[in-house]
Amino acid sequence: MVGTPVQFIAIPLLAAFLIPLLGKIWKELVRITPGVVLAYLLYLAVNLMSYTLEHGRIVEVIAGWAPPWGIDLVFSPFSGFLATLMIFMGFIVWAYSYRFKAIGDYEDYEPTIKYNLLLMMLITASVGVVLTGDIFNLFVFIEILGITSYGLTAFYRHRDGAEASFKYLFIGSLSSMFLLLAIMILYSQLGTLNMADIASKADQLKPVYKISILILFLVAMGIEAEMFPLNGWAPDAYSQAPAPVGAAFAGIVVKAGIYTIIRLIYTLFDVGGTYEYLITMGLITMIIAEFAAISQDRLKRMLAYSSIGQMGLVLTAFGIGKEAGVFAALFLMFNHAIIKSLLFLSGSYMVYNSKTKYLKELNGIGKQMPFTALLFSLAAFAIVGFPPFAGFWSKLAVLTAAADSGMILIVALILSVSLIEVVYYLRVVNRIYFLKPETSDREIQKPTTQAVLSMAVLGIIILVVGFYPDIITGVLHKAASTLLDKSSYIKDVLAIGQTIN
Amino acid sequence: MKKVIILTLLAIVGYYLIDVFAQIPFGVNRYEGQNVRDFYLEKSKDDLHVSNAVTSIVVNFRGFDTLGEVTVLFLAVTALGSILYRRREDAHKGVVFFSASKIVRSGAHLLFAPILLLGAYVFIHGHLSPGGGFQGGTIIATGFLLMLLAYHDYRVSHEILSVVESLAGLTFVFAGLGGLLLGKAFLENFLPIGTINFLFSGGIIPIIYIAVGFKVGAELTGLLYTMLNEKEYKKS
Amino acid sequence: MDLTQYNDILTIIFYGTSIGLILIGLYAALVKRSLIKIMIGLSIVDSGVNLLLLSIGYLAGGTAPIFSPAVIDKQNVIMVDPVPQALVLTAIVIGFAVTGVGLALIIRLYRHHKTVNIDEIKNLKW
Repeated sequence: MVGTPVQFIAIPLLAAFLIPLLGKIWKELVRITPGVVLAYLLYLAVNLMSYTLEHGRIVEVIAGWAPPWGIDLVFSPFSGFLATLMIFMGFIVWAYSYRFKAIGDYEDYEPTIKYNLLLMMLITASVGVVLTGDIFNLFVFIEILGITSYGLTAFYRHRDGAEASFKYLFIGSLSSMFLLLAIMILYSQLGTLNMADIASKADQLKPVYKISILILFLVAMGIEAEMFPLNGWAPDAYSQAPAPVGAAFAGIVVKAGIYTIIRLIYTLFDVGGTYEYLITMGLITMIIAEFAAISQDRLKRMLAYSSIGQMGLVLTAFGIGKEAGVFAALFLMFNHAIIKSLLFLSGSYMVYNSKTKYLKELNGIGKQMPFTALLFSLAAFAIVGFPPFAGFWSKLAVLTAAADSGMILIVALILSVSLIEVVYYLRVVNRIYFLKPETSDREIQKPTTQAVLSMAVLGIIILVVGFYPDIITGVLHKAASTLLDKSSYIKDVLAIGQTIN
Repeated sequence: MKKVIILTLLAIVGYYLIDVFAQIPFGVNRYEGQNVRDFYLEKSKDDLHVSNAVTSIVVNFRGFDTLGEVTVLFLAVTALGSILYRRREDAHKGVVFFSASKIVRSGAHLLFAPILLLGAYVFIHGHLSPGGGFQGGTIIATGFLLMLLAYHDYRVSHEILSVVESLAGLTFVFAGLGGLLLGKAFLENFLPIGTINFLFSGGIIPIIYIAVGFKVGAELTGLLYTMLNEKEYKKS
Repeated sequence: MDLTQYNDILTIIFYGTSIGLILIGLYAALVKRSLIKIMIGLSIVDSGVNLLLLSIGYLAGGTAPIFSPAVIDKQNVIMVDPVPQALVLTAIVIGFAVTGVGLALIIRLYRHHKTVNIDEIKNLKW
């Protein structure tokens, strides 16, 4: 083991406090530092991942007080997989925005400092949400996630970012209120804030408390995970934020939201009917979002609604449960992070110079930006599930899991929604290649080298996973079985207590 | 019409909340057996020699949360700076202030130093009496606010504030990493713990809290200053 | 001073006030048309929630969880729960930070639209 999980939080924090000072020495350091930090964290994550796949969970104790008296961080195949995915996507987003013109066009480096700081802390907060083993710590990291998101959404001056960000802030405040209420009821009854301890004492709760905590928690995290009807903030935030930030939201932040719901339902509480609730809400979210997506006439909003729909599918898969369902859900999350981010990143360069981002401005852009358009089309095919791209395998996994559990209605629904996806994505691909542009002299923005490289890496992964899905399925199966194993989670965390105290 | 819907919604929420909380007895010991409260109270007195149990929880037992909280403040000030940013040529002459009366101006001058002293006292003695870094830092920021309101051409140097902020934050993280480097856990105490109720007790706890006090004071002052004066930047 | 006989009244006061604050704040945040009033509403909600969180920790007849020289040598001193106090410390600062960012957004919206009325700032579809 080359390091410990706490470095995932401590090192970016150190860098965050250092960046303003470093900026005074040499301005380029401001842009480079997050990349260096993220690269090191990626190396650490992969290293810890290979360790944990063999030896089981890594539980680290903070401040020397063993759980349940202190806070602990848990790096297991499940949480570690999510953390590695987030750090990798964070690195790609950083690389893409290295010289992104719209961010740095103020010619002085103050906005760049702030952008890089906020982006790095967004990733750190998501990783913190996934790794922590204590619910109040979870609350703190969710708040960090919120503040960075509000700041990044409002980053551009010339758009309606402030309005979208204020809507997001308003709903986010209400969600933190609900979360605090849930934590408070939980603490007042069980006297502990540690997740493993709560899991072991959960049967001592009277049903009225269990239900109220569950409802409050689900409403609070439903906002972050974009469940219906709490996702009104998402299309505005995704479309008004800078493009790499939109990719970060779709690929990183929403995963953290879904993680908390899953952790609550799979590990903390076991109330009858929660799985059915997940399936129902997931299906409703998916159907409504996809119908909304098909009627959009702007690229980024369409992508945002499509992303919400995909998250609905993920929730449904988690609701189906058992190893097959969880495996499918994790595979979907992985693919969605890579593919959706590629769609956002490539799409942003295609509509770069258009003020309104209407879809019809994409006509014929395939000839002017061949490489970007090719990547976009590749991602579009992947996400609707055409073989042999990566998305096909995850869709197949979901359908098999649903069919195995005898939920034929769900299979039918997922297939029909996939048809809708095919329609609106192929519509855009058709526009890109086969329609004539409206104006003849349209200016395009050439992507920077870093952007091209980062997008190409994502495209290569889509192809590789599409042809050899076994590269990743082993890890996913282990992650799924780790999540389902609630008693060993409790045992691993609380056992540390015996060895230290 | 919309008001009626919202009022009914609130009535439902309110009834539901009251129903749940009415069943939580007030002022009664609800836990049988070991629970975190007794543990913290006992360890704070015996193992950490810190008299203010709340401080020992905030800085030591749950120090990770405090690190997150300090980060939230730091990021909020950063986000605020990025939201209110404007280029030199776009900045119109500040906001209009009515000038404060003579009483406020002379009072502010008299009170500024004692307020700073009070704030410093509160965060230095955070582990001995109620108070601590956050409370003390806020008091310091109120002192600056008083000066900013009384004299509308009062200038605070952003450079110094941001340097203080960064250094204080680095102190906190280094104090945590110090534990890691010495073979213990992150944020674990590694300095001698002294005797209880003395100023030099509790190991790294007062050091962290003093750093937090400086940081919060600098940050809140920077925040107020940014909002009141809407920074202008030179093109560099 | 022993307050145990007033426990029922104290229950109503503490729980009632905090829940009342939450409801008042929610009303302001949901109904009012001015952005500043909405922020104030959210801030009141924060206060209510923090007060409620604090009330959970109270122990009848308990004193502050500080081992001052007067208390340190006595036996059987009941102390209130310090954990909710620590949690509230964190929650207050976080709520304050969010309020700060919200107000900055309002300043920027005002600069752009010259109004803080929510009905007129509707560039984005709801």
